[in-house]
Amino acid sequence: MTRRVYLDHNASTPVHPEVVAEMLPYFSDVYGNPSSVHGFGRDARAAVDAARDRVAAFLRVRPDELVFTSGGTESDNFGVKGLALARGSGHVITSKVEHHAVLRSAQALEAQGFAVSYLPVDQYGMVDPDDVRRALRPDTIAISIMHANSEVGTIQPVRAIGALARAAGVPFHVDAVQTFGKVEIDVDAMNIDALSFSGHKIYGPKGIAGLYIRRGTKMVSIQHGGEHERRRRAGTENVPGIVGLGKAVEVRARDMKTEAEAVSALRDRMWEGIRARVPEVRLNGHPTERLPGTANICYRNVESESIVLALDLKGIAVSAGSACTAGSVEPSHVLVAMGVPLDWAMGAVRSSLGRSTTAGDVDYVVASVTEVVRRIRQAMPVGAA
Amino acid sequence: MRYSPTLVDHFLNPRNAGLMREADGSGSDEYAGCGDLTRFYLRVREGHLAEARFQAYGCGPTIAAASVATELAAGRAVEDLATLKAQEIEDALDGLPEDRKHAAEVAAGAMRAAALDALRRRHGNREA
Repeated sequence: MTRRVYLDHNASTPVHPEVVAEMLPYFSDVYGNPSSVHGFGRDARAAVDAARDRVAAFLRVRPDELVFTSGGTESDNFGVKGLALARGSGHVITSKVEHHAVLRSAQALEAQGFAVSYLPVDQYGMVDPDDVRRALRPDTIAISIMHANSEVGTIQPVRAIGALARAAGVPFHVDAVQTFGKVEIDVDAMNIDALSFSGHKIYGPKGIAGLYIRRGTKMVSIQHGGEHERRRRAGTENVPGIVGLGKAVEVRARDMKTEAEAVSALRDRMWEGIRARVPEVRLNGHPTERLPGTANICYRNVESESIVLALDLKGIAVSAGSACTAGSVEPSHVLVAMGVPLDWAMGAVRSSLGRSTTAGDVDYVVASVTEVVRRIRQAMPVGAA
Repeated sequence: MRYSPTLVDHFLNPRNAGLMREADGSGSDEYAGCGDLTRFYLRVREGHLAEARFQAYGCGPTIAAASVATELAAGRAVEDLATLKAQEIEDALDGLPEDRKHAAEVAAGAMRAAALDALRRRHGNREA
C-alpha cells in the first residue's frame, strides 16, 4: 500500500482522539436542547457553559465575550459585517490578502454603500502598519486584518495595528482562524475587539467556531431567530461541537508550544531538503514571522496542479496555490498581492504540517517532490509560461 | 480520482516527451484561459508520421493529452493529422472532466499546427 502523508493541516485537521472521546456522549446521551428548561436541556446547557469557560480561559477573556458560530466563515462575516452594520455607514480598512470570508464580506458592504480600503502587502505578504495609519479617515468605522495568512503563513503585525486602531477609536477585527491554538494571542495587548477562531484547524470538529467580542463593542447580529448566545447569534447550539472545541482548546493549551517547535523544525527540514535538490524554487512568506507548519513553495515554470496531482498519486496531500477552473487560471490573490511573478506564482504549492507529521514523512515528500518536478519539467517547453 | 487510469498513466509515464532536432514539422497551441501550452515535433517518412515528440506546460490532463496524441498519431498520414479532432484525443484518454476539456483541445490544435507545418515544408521543397 502506498504511504499516505497529509500535509494540508491549514485546510483541516484530524479530530484529536481525546476530543472525540469527550464529544461522543453529547450525540446520544446528553442530547437535550440547551434552551430547554428540563433536566435534559440543563445537562446540555452545563456542557456548553463548561466549554465556553475553557475557551475563555485559553483566550484570557470573559465567557460572556464569546459567541459560538458554525465556522470560520460565519465568524468572519459576523465580525466584519457586525461591526460595520452597527455603525450604519462609513469606511472599512482591510487588506488584499485576507481570506475570502473577509474580502467578500467587505465587498458585500461596498455594495451596501460602505467605503472599503484594501491595503497592499510587501513581498512577504505583510501589511505595513503605516499604511493602516495613512488609510484611517474620520469616518473609518472598522479595521479587519488577519493574524496569519493561510496560504503563505505570514503573521501580520496585529499588535501595532491594534494600537493604531485603539488610538483612533476604531474597532479592530482579527481573523485568527490560522493562529488560534498555534500562536500566542493576547486580545488585550493587541487591542483586538473581535476575533474569529475555528475548531477544525486545531484538531477539533468541523462546523464549530467562535467570535470573541470585547465587552462594550457595538455589534449587530447577522443571523436572526431565537435568543441564543445572549441574542447575538440565533440557532440551537451545536452541543457536541462546542464540547469538542472546548476540549480541543484544552489540548492545545497543553501541547501548543512543544508542537510548534517540532513542526517548525520539520517544516525547515522539508524546505532545506527541497531547496538543496530542486532547481528554481522559492519559499513564499515571511522568513521568520510565520506560522510554524506552513511552507508555500513556488516551482518555476511548473503548473502547481500537475505537482499536486503527481503527489496525490504518491499518497501525499498538499494544496495548489493556483487553481485552473473551467480553463481559466487564477493564481492565488495572496501571491499576486505579494508581487510574485506569474511564472513563479503558477507553480505555488502549499504544504502545512501538523502534530502527526514525522521526519520520515518529510523525507518521503522531499524525495517525491524532487522526482515529480524533474519529470514534469522534462516534458516542459523551453521558456514556457 | 476524477481522472481515468489511462490519463493518470500517461501523466505519470509520458510517451515521447522532449525536444526533436531537425523535425520535418513542428507546431504549438496555447489555451489563453490558463496559459496551457503544448508543442509537437514530427518526423515524416513518405507522407506518414514516423515519430512524434511533445513538450507541454500545464495541468496533469494537458501533459497526458499531449502524450496520448503522440501515440494515436503514430503511422498516420500527415494530411489526416492536419484535421485531428479533440474528441479523438479525449476518447483515447477515456474521457476528461468537463472543466478539463481544453487539455484535448490544446493537444489537437498543436498537432494540427505541426501537421500543417510539415505539409507546408513538403510543398515548399517541391517548389524549390
